[in-house]
Amino acid sequence: MKSKLKTTLMAVAALSLISTAAPAYEVRSPCPGTVTATTTYSDGSPHKAVDIAPGSCNYWGAETGIVGSVYYTVTIRTTAAICNGNGSGNQNEAKATLASGWAFRQWHFIKTADSRSRSCDRCQVGNIGGTGHVTGPHTHLQRDKAGTLDTSWYRVSRGDSVTRSTTIGYVN
Amino acid sequence: MTRPTSFRLTTLCLGTLALGALLPAAAVGQAAGPAPALAGETCSVDGLLAQIRRGLGSQSEAYRRYLRSLLREAAVTLPALQLHAAFARETHPVVVEQLAAALVARTERGADASGMQTVAQRALTEPDPVVRAAVVRALRRTSALENTGDLYERLVRDPSAAVRLEAATNLVEDNQHVYSGHHGPAADAAVRAAAAATDPQVTAKILGNLSTEAVSSSAAGTIRGLLRSTDSEIRRAAAMALGGVPAAEASAARESLLALYQSEPDRSVRRAILQGIAQLGFAGAVPELQRLRDADPGLRSEVDLWIQTLSLGLPEWSLILREKQRLEQLQQAAGHGGR
Repeated sequence: MKSKLKTTLMAVAALSLISTAAPAYEVRSPCPGTVTATTTYSDGSPHKAVDIAPGSCNYWGAETGIVGSVYYTVTIRTTAAICNGNGSGNQNEAKATLASGWAFRQWHFIKTADSRSRSCDRCQVGNIGGTGHVTGPHTHLQRDKAGTLDTSWYRVSRGDSVTRSTTIGYVN
Repeated sequence: MTRPTSFRLTTLCLGTLALGALLPAAAVGQAAGPAPALAGETCSVDGLLAQIRRGLGSQSEAYRRYLRSLLREAAVTLPALQLHAAFARETHPVVVEQLAAALVARTERGADASGMQTVAQRALTEPDPVVRAAVVRALRRTSALENTGDLYERLVRDPSAAVRLEAATNLVEDNQHVYSGHHGPAADAAVRAAAAATDPQVTAKILGNLSTEAVSSSAAGTIRGLLRSTDSEIRRAAAMALGGVPAAEASAARESLLALYQSEPDRSVRRAILQGIAQLGFAGAVPELQRLRDADPGLRSEVDLWIQTLSLGLPEWSLILREKQRLEQLQQAAGHGGR
């Protein structure tokens, strides 16, 4: 009897937790490649995001990572096909602001005809490239709010090989 | 040049075959007799549809959800012509919904701009209201607001109440999940649809659940106009919607709400007005609420609760609502205890 009551209470508690939680979205890799940095760079300095490098520039389409339709604000700061960096703050960006107030951002892609703000589900917003403060072509995935970067959303490690079907993590 | 995707239909189909093989095996475990011979399946639109039809009778919600995901994920690589043809001839509401979702998914994934248009067209022209409602559901949590023109303004005037409510649900869920309440044009489109609706329930459902934090001046004006509706549910929903308008619209919204409070005969609308005023001003709304304290003696305790909550200076609306709810519960508990 006691355990039945306990089970019921736990079920109700679980339901109440579910109803208050913001929905989480799976994030898949925007391109095939290798994870080159997560919480830290290879030298140990902080990074607090996920970098995935396909090993080529302006070849793979940069897909939006969130599984499910959300609105992306695409900001183009560099129109040229840059592969190896053109300075801090010049990266092209696709940003989805989620219901929790946290933003999910994808950086560094090269502008194409698909680089426009819209709602979509894993659509292309450019080609993988190296716009902004980079040393080579890659995609940078970041979850942040008010300047704070979240390091808990991703499930991959440096050196992992990924495809567009690989789950990188979950965001809300 | 650009590689669009590495997704493989074969992967999905292999997964389907594997699951298809597992399910009969599980059934055999319960019944006596020889296991059925495994038969190969063709990976095609027809093959997937056959699976979905079989899955309709499944008791497992997880399996039905899997089938829905399967068709949507496979949609990008399925032959477009076959998918469009299957959608055009299908009449079973559940299968129609899944085929429509697959066509919409093609548009969402950037594979076929016409997919969503085809679905939107059927949502307007399908004679069977049950099928029409299913097609409208398939547009939920997608970019339909951006890509289908005045579709929702027409759907909210559909002859079928079920279709109208599905359209309202789409607008609310799109606002919440696709745009997270932050996208002004989407919120404006929802307000336009709410104003265009002839069914008060639809208008109230949209306005009562919409985040208006990014609406335009024009949309805020439309909501203020709905405060003059003859339907109390609409007035109530409009009052709540006005509570969330951007700072530039706050002054006009506050004036409209204060004016309505004096003449409003319905107490539930007055409660909504108090909430709207509280949301517009946070702690700054306390003096206004104090002035309203004696306007309706029956709502004095409600005004006091708002004043008590707002005086705490909480910085977020969700925290304020939670605290107000807590104080209400305390008040109710104290009331019950005294009996």
